[in-house]
Amino acid sequence: MKVEILYFAALKDFFPPKEMVEIDPNVSVSQLKSFLCNQNPNASKIINVSRVSINQNISKENEIIPENAIIAILPPSSGG
Amino acid sequence: MKHITNLHIDIQKILPSIPKMGGFVMFTGIVRDTNEGKTVTHLEYEAYSELADKMISTIIEETKEKWELQYVNCVHRLGNLNVGDIAVIVTTGSMHRDEAYKANRYIIDRVKHDVPIWKKEYYIDGSSEWSKGCVHETEQS
Repeated sequence: MKVEILYFAALKDFFPPKEMVEIDPNVSVSQLKSFLCNQNPNASKIINVSRVSINQNISKENEIIPENAIIAILPPSSGG
Repeated sequence: MKHITNLHIDIQKILPSIPKMGGFVMFTGIVRDTNEGKTVTHLEYEAYSELADKMISTIIEETKEKWELQYVNCVHRLGNLNVGDIAVIVTTGSMHRDEAYKANRYIIDRVKHDVPIWKKEYYIDGSSEWSKGCVHETEQS
């Protein structure tokens, strides 16, 4: 199934700002993170400390990703 | 969007006139010229704007449940900012000063720690780096 993934800040050094990705159904947030780490091992350090939002809600690690979700990988915040 | 802006933040226009408000606290986060020993020339702020705006609204709602406030707002700037520019403003007003101070501190800490906003620092030697994130500036209460 297809999902859209958005990347921010330091992650844009490793991924495009947004991309459509084909993932298996019933994949959890933490499985998606491992998938992205395997795809780009140099980004693992940041991905592992990032939060993930699904359709503009901060998700839990064990949450299952729904079809057509808009996912955002959010490195630790540094606003202010 | 109410809480995220690409425009210059003007502090002159913010003091509200509310008869029941006896104390008003304004925090401004300003771009400074050094960070961890390096000279900073400017910053670039980026956000997941839709989510950041929503999260700041939620933080404000939660703050209003904790303290009785006559006035509360928070606006964070995005884009390229020079040294001396205002990056973020948090304003709180209450009948007495205590609530306004506490609520203000609570909001800025939550915004810095939780809201998906990031800054890239540009240094005088031409190099640049994304800030590692809020790990040492927050005292969560």
